[in-house]
Amino acid sequence: MTRSSLYRWFRQFRRQAQPDTQGGVTVKARSIYILPTKQGLLLAVVLLAMLVGSINYGSNLGYLATFLLGGIWITSILHTWRNLLGLRLQPQHVDSVFAGESADFCLSLINPSNLDRFAITLKQKKNFGDSLDIPNNEQLPIHLPLVSKKRGLFKLPQITLHTTYPLGLFHAWTYAEIDLNCLVYPKPAERGKPPVTESYTKSNSGDRGVGSDDFVGLRTFRTGDSPKQIDWKAYARQQGLLSKQFGGDRHVEITLDWDLIAEQEPERRLSLLCRFILQQEELRHAYAMKIPGLSIACGLGSAHMQKCLSALARYGIADADR
Amino acid sequence: MQIADHSLTARQHLLVSLCAGLAIVPHALHVPLPISLFLILLFVWRLAALRYPQFQPGRWLLVLTTLGGVILTFSQYHTLIGRDAGVGLLTVMMMLKILEVRKRQDLYVAVFISYFVIITHFLFDQSMVMALYLFSVMVCLTALLIEINRIKPSATTLEPFVRTAIITLQAIPIAIVLFVIFPRLNQPLWNLGIGSSGTTGLSDRVTPGQIAELIESPEVAFRVSFDREVPPVEQRYWRGLVIWDTDGLSWFNRKEQVVERHIQLKAHGEHSYEVFLEAHQKRWLYALDLPVSSKQNFRLSQDIILQRREPVRQSLTYQVRSSTEQQNRVVLPGMLQRALELPDNVTQRQFELVEGWRSSATTSREIVDLALAHFNSQPFVYTLTPPRYLDNPIDQFLFDTQEGFCEHYATSFAQLMRIAGIPTRLVLGYQGGEFNELGDYYIIRQYDAHAWTEVWLEESGWLRVDPTAAVAPERIRFQLRNDFGAEGSPAMFQLDELGLVGSSLRRFAHMLDNANIQWRRWIIGYSREHQFSLMRNFGFDTLTPLQWSLITIGLISIPLLLIALRLVLSGKKQPLPEIVAYNQYCKKLARLGISRKTYEGPMDYAKRAIAERPDLTASISRITALYIRLRYGPKADKSQTKKLLQQVKQFRPGRQKPGT
Repeated sequence: MTRSSLYRWFRQFRRQAQPDTQGGVTVKARSIYILPTKQGLLLAVVLLAMLVGSINYGSNLGYLATFLLGGIWITSILHTWRNLLGLRLQPQHVDSVFAGESADFCLSLINPSNLDRFAITLKQKKNFGDSLDIPNNEQLPIHLPLVSKKRGLFKLPQITLHTTYPLGLFHAWTYAEIDLNCLVYPKPAERGKPPVTESYTKSNSGDRGVGSDDFVGLRTFRTGDSPKQIDWKAYARQQGLLSKQFGGDRHVEITLDWDLIAEQEPERRLSLLCRFILQQEELRHAYAMKIPGLSIACGLGSAHMQKCLSALARYGIADADR
Repeated sequence: MQIADHSLTARQHLLVSLCAGLAIVPHALHVPLPISLFLILLFVWRLAALRYPQFQPGRWLLVLTTLGGVILTFSQYHTLIGRDAGVGLLTVMMMLKILEVRKRQDLYVAVFISYFVIITHFLFDQSMVMALYLFSVMVCLTALLIEINRIKPSATTLEPFVRTAIITLQAIPIAIVLFVIFPRLNQPLWNLGIGSSGTTGLSDRVTPGQIAELIESPEVAFRVSFDREVPPVEQRYWRGLVIWDTDGLSWFNRKEQVVERHIQLKAHGEHSYEVFLEAHQKRWLYALDLPVSSKQNFRLSQDIILQRREPVRQSLTYQVRSSTEQQNRVVLPGMLQRALELPDNVTQRQFELVEGWRSSATTSREIVDLALAHFNSQPFVYTLTPPRYLDNPIDQFLFDTQEGFCEHYATSFAQLMRIAGIPTRLVLGYQGGEFNELGDYYIIRQYDAHAWTEVWLEESGWLRVDPTAAVAPERIRFQLRNDFGAEGSPAMFQLDELGLVGSSLRRFAHMLDNANIQWRRWIIGYSREHQFSLMRNFGFDTLTPLQWSLITIGLISIPLLLIALRLVLSGKKQPLPEIVAYNQYCKKLARLGISRKTYEGPMDYAKRAIAERPDLTASISRITALYIRLRYGPKADKSQTKKLLQQVKQFRPGRQKPGT
């Protein structure tokens, strides 16, 4: 049996701690696994050799030393087990990221007991995280940076809490399922011009579009500007040729529309939409968004952007997850 | 820091080298000198390499050094197997391992080899002191393991030791259970070829002068604890070996002693006692006059000496009943003839001396009395440093120098009796013994070694005659002391006038010896026989392997369950009072709408609370500072905790900021 198939075979027996109402996990006695480490097995072999030696030479003190070390070997199982028992992993928060970026899951590792805990390691698959000593009644912040692969809800994968303290002869571990989800936005596509439907509505704030009603500012003269626009007074003040700019009293509302995107593939569309949102935010141009089943009114700013990006992230994902 | 990071600190490197050094020191004292020097060289090399990393040997140098070590060991022992050479090789290999420790994994291997080296010491020395020393080394090694398994180093040196102590104490019940019920074998698994080592004790060949060497040794030969009645000192002759033949120079047994398994002694034992015998590499066992029964299955030789099949290689405990009143009339065919044989160098003046007694005496007993009177009346001197006798020791002793000790008296008396036609044999053993009040037993030391004779008289059978007692009755009645004068000066005897210091010193020595005998009795002397009698007490005659396993598992799980229970409960004890107080304070603040976030430390929380309620600055910062000092600072006394409790109690913030 290969290592991985053995692992799969072993998986069927495993129990993992399910999150409680707070989304965290408290390590319970029966969810801890414990097996000897390589060193533990080595010591077992040495102990066997010591036992054979003691039998052979009939040395009672040899027996005593062997059995004492054997007792320590056995007792250390309990101590290693105790080192995990009762620890608590509590989810804190995680910021949303774009697909492909690293999501920083923040947890706290809590030691609610009066015993100090040592060398607790957080493991996610084969990535060893930090090893920590946690004094009694203490909690430590844990950061687990994990690379998000695709948009949607990125659930914090199963975490393994692992320890070999005190003697390194046994390793105890427990699988913790923590309820902490990172919302992953689609990966922004390459820059491009959004195909938009513009609708014009009257607005007091107006826009910077071209119009003739309100003076908005000056800019350097370009060939083609009407002589009516030239600010002659400024020219007289030797400030050079400047054109007066006028904005309209209408408001150009850009709607980023799913249906207008030429690409067919939904994920590609989401990526493009994501990029357009970012572009609009950069330009500080207000935008609305329409995707199948949802349309978001025009707006600007980080709250609006998050709303839109979240909608993209959640597009097509069953609500059962949330 | 990560678990994948296998680096060790310089301090840990130094500690593992030191601990391993401590584990090896007792061996370094008895392996051949070149190996000792090699070990020291490796150790110094290691220390130098820790200080100056450029000295750390590379792979090829290590291989060469290892080869050198093996060759050195072989050149010293001419073999690599067996106890002594094996231990020599083990020490060399262990030091080489220490030299190359780099990674965490190496450190484990080094510690485990050290554990193994520790038990090999017990093949050479089983004393309590050695055991205590090795136990401490074992604790140090275990503490080191604990220390390297932490992330941050311990705050104090004591901390890993405290943890080791906890684990070790919990392991002790398991060790005891296994020790008591693990089945003992009487035969080794394979032949070990243990040669007789230099253990002192009686030899089966008496060449005058030999016992004198023993007399200088205060080493314990055996200890005896009597059940009830203790025979007086002049009757405490511990017989060990009977010698029949002589060539005029030394006394020995030409024939292997015939061992009769079925000698029936119709006698009842008046004295029942237990003997704790030190290893003496010989088969015979010591007992008072007539050993009539022994619980163990020992054999009885034709001259009524208890014997074992195998030499006593380890200390041994046995129970005997002896009769001191009964006559020993065991005579086998040819025995009396053997007890009359004379060497070739009997001189004319010896015959004349004996002839004088024979002419004036009518019975054998009278001749014996006359001979004893001769020793008493002539200017014989009892001395432990007699002149050397070369070609005819008995003759020179009897007529020329008249200086000697028990051996000279016994051999010459035996020869004179044989000339007189009285069958006589020489007995070697110990006489007397020092009483230990604390343990209620007698210590028989090597300087209690003695030689006397047994003569065959028709009316009384084999009768003990001690010619030394005729010359120096103090030798029998008082303890011989171990301070000797100049050559030829009479030996000193220890009388009762001991000062206060002397008696308290002796008391202390007895206390130590008592601890020692308990150690011998219960730890080193624990045997198959003890195990069986213990099992019988619990109602098991024999245990099948299955029963044995079940009992073992059952007995081990009891302490394990208790430990588990203790471990679980110890975490659930009342939280520390300062934490309770601080939580109360947090609750009070939370009522004002300033609740502590889970990620917030006390400092950050205090800052935020002060920002919201500047009016509470004084009390908040006071409580926070006190709490931090109690919780994270060096150990504070109880008054500090009390102060915090009081502060929190008095902390009654109003709902509104004053003035708003």
